[in-house]
Amino acid sequence: MMPMWTKSGKRHAVTLLKVQDCHVLRYVSKEESGEKRPLLVVGGKNASPFSKSESAMEIFKEAGVPRKQKITTFRVTEDALIKPGTPLYAAHFRPGQFVDVTAKTIGKGFQGVMKRWGFKGQPASHGQTKTHRRPGAISTNKAGKVYRGKKMPGKMGNIYRTSFGLKVWRINTKHDIIYVNGTVPGHTNCLVKVKDSKLPTYKDCNKNPPFPTFFADGDEELPEDLYDEEVFQFTEPSITYA
Amino acid sequence: SYRISSDGKPEKFQPPPKPIIIDKQKQKEERRFLSPEFVPPRGRTDPLKFYIERKDMIQRRKAFNIPEFYVGHILAVTTANPYASEKASRFVGICIQRGGKGLGATFVLRNVIEDQGVEIRYELYNPRIQAIEVLKLEKRLDDNLMYLRDALPEYSTFDVNMKPVPHLDHEEIPVNKLQVRMKPKPWSKRWERPKYNIKGIKFELPEKKMKEAQKWSQPWLEFDMLREYDTSKIEEKIWKEVSEELKK
Repeated sequence: MMPMWTKSGKRHAVTLLKVQDCHVLRYVSKEESGEKRPLLVVGGKNASPFSKSESAMEIFKEAGVPRKQKITTFRVTEDALIKPGTPLYAAHFRPGQFVDVTAKTIGKGFQGVMKRWGFKGQPASHGQTKTHRRPGAISTNKAGKVYRGKKMPGKMGNIYRTSFGLKVWRINTKHDIIYVNGTVPGHTNCLVKVKDSKLPTYKDCNKNPPFPTFFADGDEELPEDLYDEEVFQFTEPSITYA
Repeated sequence: SYRISSDGKPEKFQPPPKPIIIDKQKQKEERRFLSPEFVPPRGRTDPLKFYIERKDMIQRRKAFNIPEFYVGHILAVTTANPYASEKASRFVGICIQRGGKGLGATFVLRNVIEDQGVEIRYELYNPRIQAIEVLKLEKRLDDNLMYLRDALPEYSTFDVNMKPVPHLDHEEIPVNKLQVRMKPKPWSKRWERPKYNIKGIKFELPEKKMKEAQKWSQPWLEFDMLREYDTSKIEEKIWKEVSEELKK
């Protein structure tokens, strides 16, 4: 995470996400999957092929790609289909876009009700006998049972969560890094899924994105750094309010 | 032709003495200063992240001069302020702490203005900062001068219209061995305890209190191998990288 300043002098915190050896692995049609739209299976970060069974390695062999550590599916429209085996780069996203980031949260292990659900617990003194961090009452008398989904102690974290509507401030095409506003779930160096935002306010935010994706062997020559209009670039002189 | 000495015999040729050349550039290079925010902290972060952050920091340093300064120097910082008349505000103070790594590096300036102690934390790489001038170069005995909050206010007062004290490039930065006198206890932190390791206070506490403070000493800490973080090699590499980029 890094600080980043806009041209008006405001400071934002930014998370750096690296696009590391992403390839499209498989195309699953609407009929095969049973969804309303076809799927594209994408794999991330390269890993060693020796610890997986032959059947798991089939997908990678068909696509002609080394074994990937993480595989996710994206639901795409029919006109955005990509051939399996094409690499995906950070330039797929452009500054000014809004993005949803999904990842597994940091695992906290078995946690009590105060940390897990934010209960207030009981006072530390004034006669409390052995009750300081307990949930207290778990249901009413009339119910005669405990409802399903009652907030109780248990394993916390290590589940998939999404942060919605994060602005992309900057893209580094040389090292394939996306600078995303704010915080992102997961620990440092964890694997993360980045999608176009599904929020209705950002429906029309993508102005001419690379469609279906950015191809490295194409004719476009992008500069090393792509900045959003409002980002203060360090080559400029200091900000003044005239 | 050869000279004839008083004896009448020809004198042996004495070559002239070699001239002593004082290379001022070499003398300047001898003192290397790498700003502490360039050294990456210990952790499991990818070194690529530090490399990219360093590129940004070097870009900013090329556009704007951030002078070499330590804790104890007296600095004047002008920042752009939309609510001030003349749109710029100037603050003079002694640097009491340098914290943070990378682009978020900060330093705290302290001064006493009209009997009110004021501390301001500035970010080194904030684009709103328009100028950082070093008014007086002097190092102190400690790395962290937070105890000035509990010292008598005369030690933190500095004239706002102070003229910059001239300092030659190749000379070493003088260390001010000033021992500061404190206000009566209670202090914000127990500065007499060995954890803070402060050498710049003149403790006027009774011997008994000083001995009692030594109870909290942790003499095993300096031998703890897991706490060792040797930055000499990392600093060498980063110094080379940074100096080469800045010369361009």
